Amino acid sequence: MSFHVLFLVSILAGFVGAMSGMGGGVILIPVLTLFGMDIKHAIAVSIVSVIATSSGSASAYVRDRITNLKVGMFLEMFTIVGSLAGAAITIISGRRILFILFGVVLLSSWAALFRQRNEGWQPAARHDAFSCWLELEGSYYDRPIRQTIVYQGVRAYLGGPFMFAAGLLAGLLGIGAGALKVLIQDLVMGLPPKVSTTTSNLIIGVTALAGTSVYLTAGMIDPGLTAPIILGVISGAFIGTRILVRLTNKAIRHIFLGVLLVLGIEMLFRGIWGV
Amino acid sequence: MRASTDHPKKTQPDNPFDMESLVGYILLTGVLLSVALLTVGFVWRWERVGNLRFEHSIVGMNFFEFIVSTVQQMTSHAFRPRLFLNMGIAVLMLTPFVRVLASVFYFALAEHNWKYTFFTGFVLSVLTYSLFLR
Repeated sequence: MSFHVLFLVSILAGFVGAMSGMGGGVILIPVLTLFGMDIKHAIAVSIVSVIATSSGSASAYVRDRITNLKVGMFLEMFTIVGSLAGAAITIISGRRILFILFGVVLLSSWAALFRQRNEGWQPAARHDAFSCWLELEGSYYDRPIRQTIVYQGVRAYLGGPFMFAAGLLAGLLGIGAGALKVLIQDLVMGLPPKVSTTTSNLIIGVTALAGTSVYLTAGMIDPGLTAPIILGVISGAFIGTRILVRLTNKAIRHIFLGVLLVLGIEMLFRGIWGV
Repeated sequence: MRASTDHPKKTQPDNPFDMESLVGYILLTGVLLSVALLTVGFVWRWERVGNLRFEHSIVGMNFFEFIVSTVQQMTSHAFRPRLFLNMGIAVLMLTPFVRVLASVFYFALAEHNWKYTFFTGFVLSVLTYSLFLR
């Protein structure tokens, strides 16, 4: 594959990744395999680029003080263990069944979010002792509506184990699995969409690093293919991040819904027909 | 929903160099340095042979060995385009690692928050373990 093709595909992937809080791998991997790359290598290359998207956009969100660092650091404990396990499984496994499973997971997430797409974010009604002990409260200034939003994360005892599953999928498929991470923080932990999207971005980098180590050891990371992708993905993420802070929570959720649907169908088809 | 129309400055902490700035700048520096190294690699390659194709792989090394071999080549001044590519990738991979490392120190030394020192310490241990995977 030529430098230019890799670079252009990666710009697009980085842009969508930053806008939706996902790593961008969900676009990269299918396209790379369309160009004839072995899927396991595409997964390995993609997961390195996921570190780039995540770190690039997370740096801006963190300094804007939208990301909740404590939520991120608590949940990372679960995602990295999942990611190591996931990458180890990919190396030894066939993957059709995994694609089908992932397609189903994405589509059910889409259905869950679609049902409540027009509801604005509501703060959690009941605060549990464990989440309070974890200090998961926070606030951020929402630029489009010119208000400071104060929130409290809840149900961390569920969020943690669910995040292990998200990390597992991330390592398994070489993606950020940001879709699931956002969903868990949104629906389970009651965080505002902007906080879950940006915090997901932070978690993705560390999760991807754990997976990358496994793929690197397996000799599946080719620097000549990885480097143009890193450059493209960072450029795309840079543009995406500048747009995200100007959007409302509702707009982000709509974009996110569209991406979830397309990806879910795509994954399902590829699993069933084994493309 | 609890919301106020306060000026955004209210959400900014008094300490000018807090956890957010630290994490944000580590990530930014890592990514920019990685981009710079990769760009140097490609530009140099273009100057030298007129194409941007690299065909070398990293086989039989874990992340720790990859970094050691990259640093060894740097110290022996074996500079060539592919070394810059490896350095760029190594820096990128080290970025989240350094971020976690800095968080451990920040929680321990600046905030004395032992709960989160333990959490980030756990993340650091797992990541360090993954560096030495075989």
